[in-house]
Amino acid sequence: MLQLKNVSKIYEGKVAYRALTDINLEIETGEFVAIMGPSGSGKTTLLNIISTIDEPTTGEVYIDGKNPHTLSKNKLAKFRRQELGFVFQDFNLLHTLTVEENIVLPLTLDGEKVKEMERKVKQIAEKLGISAILNKRTYEISGGQAQRTAIARAMIHDPKLLLADEPTGNLDSKASKDVMNMLAAINEREKTSLLMVTHDPQAASYADRVVFIRDGKLHSEIYRGESRQTFFQKIIDMLSLMGGDGNDLSSIRV
Amino acid sequence: MTFRQFVFNNVLRNKRLYVAYFLSSLFTVMVFFTFAMFAFHPALSGADIHFSALYGMSVAGGIIYVFSFFFVLYSMSSFLQSRKREFGLLMTLGASSRQIRRMVFLENMIIGFFATVGGILLGLIFAKLILLIAENVLIISETLYFYVPVLAIIITFVSFIVLFLCISFFVSVVLRTKKLTDLIKGNKKWKGEPKASFALGIIAALLLLAGYGVALYVKGMEVLFAMVPVIIVVVIGTYLLFTQLSVYVIRRLKGNRHLFFRKTNMLLFSDLAFRMKDNARTFFLVTIISTVAFSAIGTLYGFHSYLTRGIKDLNPFSYTYFSFIDDSDERIEKDVQRINAILQEENIKADMERIEMTYYHMEASDTPVLIVKASDYNRFARLNDEKEVSPDKNEAVVVNVSARMMGSSSGNSSLIDQPILLQNGVEIKPSETIESELLPEIKGYYIVHDDAFAELGDPLNSSSFFAFKVVEGEKESVMDAGRKMMEQTEYRAQAIDYMVYEIDKAYGPVLFIGLFIGIVFFVSAGSFLYFRLYSDLDDDKYKFQSITKIGLTVGELKKVVNRQTAILFFAPIIVALIHGAVALTALSRFFDYNITEEALFVLGGFAVIQIVYFFIAKLFYVKQIKETVYR
Repeated sequence: MLQLKNVSKIYEGKVAYRALTDINLEIETGEFVAIMGPSGSGKTTLLNIISTIDEPTTGEVYIDGKNPHTLSKNKLAKFRRQELGFVFQDFNLLHTLTVEENIVLPLTLDGEKVKEMERKVKQIAEKLGISAILNKRTYEISGGQAQRTAIARAMIHDPKLLLADEPTGNLDSKASKDVMNMLAAINEREKTSLLMVTHDPQAASYADRVVFIRDGKLHSEIYRGESRQTFFQKIIDMLSLMGGDGNDLSSIRV
Repeated sequence: MTFRQFVFNNVLRNKRLYVAYFLSSLFTVMVFFTFAMFAFHPALSGADIHFSALYGMSVAGGIIYVFSFFFVLYSMSSFLQSRKREFGLLMTLGASSRQIRRMVFLENMIIGFFATVGGILLGLIFAKLILLIAENVLIISETLYFYVPVLAIIITFVSFIVLFLCISFFVSVVLRTKKLTDLIKGNKKWKGEPKASFALGIIAALLLLAGYGVALYVKGMEVLFAMVPVIIVVVIGTYLLFTQLSVYVIRRLKGNRHLFFRKTNMLLFSDLAFRMKDNARTFFLVTIISTVAFSAIGTLYGFHSYLTRGIKDLNPFSYTYFSFIDDSDERIEKDVQRINAILQEENIKADMERIEMTYYHMEASDTPVLIVKASDYNRFARLNDEKEVSPDKNEAVVVNVSARMMGSSSGNSSLIDQPILLQNGVEIKPSETIESELLPEIKGYYIVHDDAFAELGDPLNSSSFFAFKVVEGEKESVMDAGRKMMEQTEYRAQAIDYMVYEIDKAYGPVLFIGLFIGIVFFVSAGSFLYFRLYSDLDDDKYKFQSITKIGLTVGELKKVVNRQTAILFFAPIIVALIHGAVALTALSRFFDYNITEEALFVLGGFAVIQIVYFFIAKLFYVKQIKETVYR
């Protein structure tokens, strides 16, 4: 489904900065992968490259066998709104539009029939439990509802790949749980491939696999077993291992 | 770093943020200064300049000052709106609200000072430019030369420092510091869609229709009485049109899903509705200001053509000589000899015709009526390449001055009903009416067959009329010859080119100042629009960034921005053009003179300028957005 081959990113500037080094990653169709790592590790850069918002300096990205970075700007825009779905930390909803209008925006831009749009909105709003707020404006709803609206917008055109950037970053624990359950259910039911970047081990524990990166390099990855609880524990352990400094340990031992 | 240093550096190092506000202030000062510079021009303050022109100018000066005040206030408040976050940050760091007010006050004074000085300097250049244009377009007798206007500089400087002082004081008092969280959240809050009521929308339409109806219906002096009420009704109607009717229409459009959910329409309409509150105010101001500009220029231009073209149309020949009733034959001979001598002197070749204009007593007319014989008339017709007439022996042709000149009500229509009684008892019946300006008789006259003319008997009185048509001659010598012959024949001779020149000369400064005021108003309207456009730039950048992440092509982005900008630029101007067209129609009814051509020229000219302005503004706006969105 998604394939990254030797992807590197260097930010040119007065001081050139290497954000990603030789990343190789593969995601199967229907898989739910979380990417974790400390601040500045390159998570968001990686996601931006996959989502075609940013370009890799070297290396290739294949989505469903196609390399979107070779497309022209206009084709790329169409590719994004037809093949990809996005969920952002700050929801990225337009405050001039109502919840319903925000959800249908990708279809509207593609010139879908009004009847079809209305049918799809009804369907997805029911699934996500936001039918009651369809006519509200974005400043009249809670953060959890806003994120569910954003998920509805990301899902309404049945994308092949759903990309989520810290989807629980702005939510309280209850709303986070709801949103993660929803994403997991979508992944389960619709077999949509899902790639999520997160800080939150709780959110990451919903994934099938967690990939850890540090300083722009793949560090390790762990798969989920039977229980989400033990998976959560494993993630915590891995994070503390990554956060600790190897030299510190050895100096204590000596 | 003292507090004052902080404020100073905050302005100087943050140029981008302040530049829009600074430029609009600078521009306002420049306009006012250029105006003051002409108003206090030594050539215009002479004793012979018309009192009404001076009065008109001081009124215009006052209006410009009032508009400057509101414009600066408006720019200031939206500038402060966009800086709420910054104030929030400062207060989080512990700045008191008194300090914030002091900061705003100081900042405003710094900007105001530089804007005033810069505006005066730019105004000097601008004035020179305008004068250059004016000299080439208009004939300005009391040559409006360029001068260093000490008085205008002092007045502009003092008025604007006072204005900025007032506004700084006003704003810093008004700037109530609300809750800190509100400030930090800043501009994300929704301003609210203005409420629109169907009833008020209908009232808007009715008011406009009533105003237009009255303006188009009244004639002559009634126009003067109807003017003030119509203006009030139309102004209120325009205000309601933008605040109520437009909101209502946009709501209805949004309600129609097949339209609203179609491609980029959703982005366009939702934005329109969202900004309607700000837009409505700007639209209203721009419409009124532009209407004033259109009407002022249209009136002056129309009046100018009323004077000059009126004379030209009434006088188809280059020179004419029309003797007085009691002039002796010798005098006439001498004058004509003189005219011919002048023509020779100036190397002008001209064809000449003469006619004895004979007036007869008519039963139904109080004044003597002119009757000419067909052969005489036809000689003049040939001279000017016009259609000849050939009435039958017992027929007469009635000649009226063309309706365009006299309006519909004039001309002597009764001539056609009166038979002419000949000495031999034969009655001659007028058979047709034609329009012609060949002979200088505006009350209308008869043309009869030569044989019938012989039977008319002795005329009541008569005078000689000579017409000269220039065949060959330089433009300047034609003009000079005209001046000479008018002076030497004690104004029995008339030279059309020279008369028009004289009118242009006398009318030049008034036309120039009117034109200038019109341009100033129109340009201010433009700067209003520009300011409105750019105060939305950050919102638009954010909006398009969000949508582009989901996927928006460059073409779609351009389409949305184009339409958005087009509505902003053309909605008020189209309304203003309609207002202007109605106003000019009413004016032509007042003068009883058709100025359709002039009105079309003026309104069309403004429309073209606006279109050019739109394309330039749009180009830069799209570029700005594209730069942020597609990096």
